[in-house]
Amino acid sequence: MLRYRFLFEQMVRRELRQKYKGSALGLLWYLINPIVLMGAYVLVFSVLLRVADIPDYPLFVVAGMIVWVFFAQAMLAAAPSMEQNAPLVRKVRFPREAIPAATALVQLATFLVMLALLAPVAVAIRGSLEPGLLALPVVVVLLFAFVLGLSMAVSVLHAHYRDVEPVVAAALLPWFFVTPIFLRVEDIPGVSSRQWLGDLLEWGNPVAPFVSAVRELLYAGAAPSLGHLAYLTVAGLGALALGMLCFRRLGRELAVVL
Amino acid sequence: MRPGEVTLEHASRSFLLRPEERARTLKELFVRRGRRDGARVAALDDVTLHIEPGEAVGLVGRNGAGKTSTLRCLAGIVPLDSGRAQCGGRVVSLLELGAGFGADFTGRENVFLNGALHGFEKEEIEERLEDIVAFSELGEFVDVPVRAYSAGMYLRLGFSIAAFLDVDVLLIDEVLAVGDESFQRKCLRRIAERMEEGATLILVSHDPSAIERVCRRVVVLDAGSVRFDDTTAEGLLFYHRLLGARPDDARRERRGPGVDVLGLQLRDSEDRARSAFRSGETVRVALSVAGPAERAVVAIEIRDSDGSRLFRTDTTLGAIEGETEVVYEIPRLGLLGGDYDLVVGAGDHDAPPAGTLDRIVRLSVSETFDAEGLVDLRGEWRVREREPLR
Repeated sequence: MLRYRFLFEQMVRRELRQKYKGSALGLLWYLINPIVLMGAYVLVFSVLLRVADIPDYPLFVVAGMIVWVFFAQAMLAAAPSMEQNAPLVRKVRFPREAIPAATALVQLATFLVMLALLAPVAVAIRGSLEPGLLALPVVVVLLFAFVLGLSMAVSVLHAHYRDVEPVVAAALLPWFFVTPIFLRVEDIPGVSSRQWLGDLLEWGNPVAPFVSAVRELLYAGAAPSLGHLAYLTVAGLGALALGMLCFRRLGRELAVVL
Repeated sequence: MRPGEVTLEHASRSFLLRPEERARTLKELFVRRGRRDGARVAALDDVTLHIEPGEAVGLVGRNGAGKTSTLRCLAGIVPLDSGRAQCGGRVVSLLELGAGFGADFTGRENVFLNGALHGFEKEEIEERLEDIVAFSELGEFVDVPVRAYSAGMYLRLGFSIAAFLDVDVLLIDEVLAVGDESFQRKCLRRIAERMEEGATLILVSHDPSAIERVCRRVVVLDAGSVRFDDTTAEGLLFYHRLLGARPDDARRERRGPGVDVLGLQLRDSEDRARSAFRSGETVRVALSVAGPAERAVVAIEIRDSDGSRLFRTDTTLGAIEGETEVVYEIPRLGLLGGDYDLVVGAGDHDAPPAGTLDRIVRLSVSETFDAEGLVDLRGEWRVREREPLR
């Protein structure tokens, strides 16, 4: 991987340049889009449809939402990435993993910027600096592994089976609503009486533990439990393994199927 | 594997004739092995080739003969079904104009992107940046996004990058044809320089003169297999006969000993180099031969695209020492539209035997609308009504 550091750098620049080229705000769109989206949700759920009585509710929502936005945007960018770079794949030899990796890195950069904007605000609102925050980099690394692995998988799968991108796009919306972003799982009406439903929502959806881990860190300053961290590790490494398996199986023929 | 060495061992690769027939179930993804659906066509069929470092090999063949597939397999872009393909050292492929360019990047930025794609580090590219920019002759355009480039400018940039990175194996597919004549010449010179430094070149081209200028060896591919693999002159002749759809007739020909033919060029009546002429024009065949020979003889032969001899003549030059210029002038080209091969052979003491070939050049004659066939015997029709007998 390190051997190709310069290649990744170049691919990320290419990715950045191609999107939003010629627009007045340029790269800022990478931030404006999710901020507007999150602003809308915060407005709807904290003012118009108050679903929960949670103090500093906007911080609560945004802290979880940035994780979802990172995940969803990365999937949407990665799925068609091979197809968009078909001329390159067909005519030049280079590690093809660089293509979905570049899209994931661009989304990671957006995520990190939002994190950097949000973290001081969160600390200021809470008024204390907890040692638990030290776990944040670990969670972020695991989250990136998770997103990178799935990006690799969907990009190479879509190159072979062109239904993958629309399936991903269609799945993201319901997936968003079953991910506990607006409420903690235990606060969802009906969960307290049905323990299995809570477990399913929290652990059956691999995005949910990442959302709750980042949110609890930023919103409450609480580090995830060891069990929680173990889950994140398994999810992150499992996704990476899946991505690499897909590449091993399907990556060789990319120049032929595109 | 030494840097610059290239080998293909029993390399085979086939493609689906109709890719949309490929089974596309997710189950197949995880259980597939061996089973392949649908009619397939072999792009490479048991190809074995060995190329030494520093060699320049021309790859010719009809459309669909497997030339580009061979390059793509060698470059590692497309995997083989069976056999082995290996290139020693660093490989750069120039398979398509502007492949690997970011359209919104400037020429200069694309040098870095392209270099990175081929596995070079930033410092290595920076070292050569000035050479690349200078060779490309892009001037101020090097800082303009390549979106605005013409095909020729794409070629100049792409070729300059490929030619100035220190690569061991250079794979070039047909792209040179886009450039203007002077840039082409410059490219071929640069390629020759790189080969002296030990780089290996594999060039796919339909232009015999480009292949003749840089390659000493020609491999003729047909239907995915190697049909011929020898010197350039003989390989090109074989290929031209193959084009004439009489592939089985292509005997290998002997090379004339003694006198070397160093150059062969067609010129018009004003001594401009040309390869296309009109029927009836003056054609000068300019040769340069080198001895030493006591009694050098050169022969010129014109063949049609089937390889049949249409005309042959020879002349005795006498004793020659160093390089000698010989011009044969055809005052009025008596051929009709089509492609012909003009072949030159040379020998010492005796006229080179018929069929001997040292150099070959393509002679194209533009179509005429009032006659068909090979030879131009066009004349005048005279019609006169006979007076009735009284």
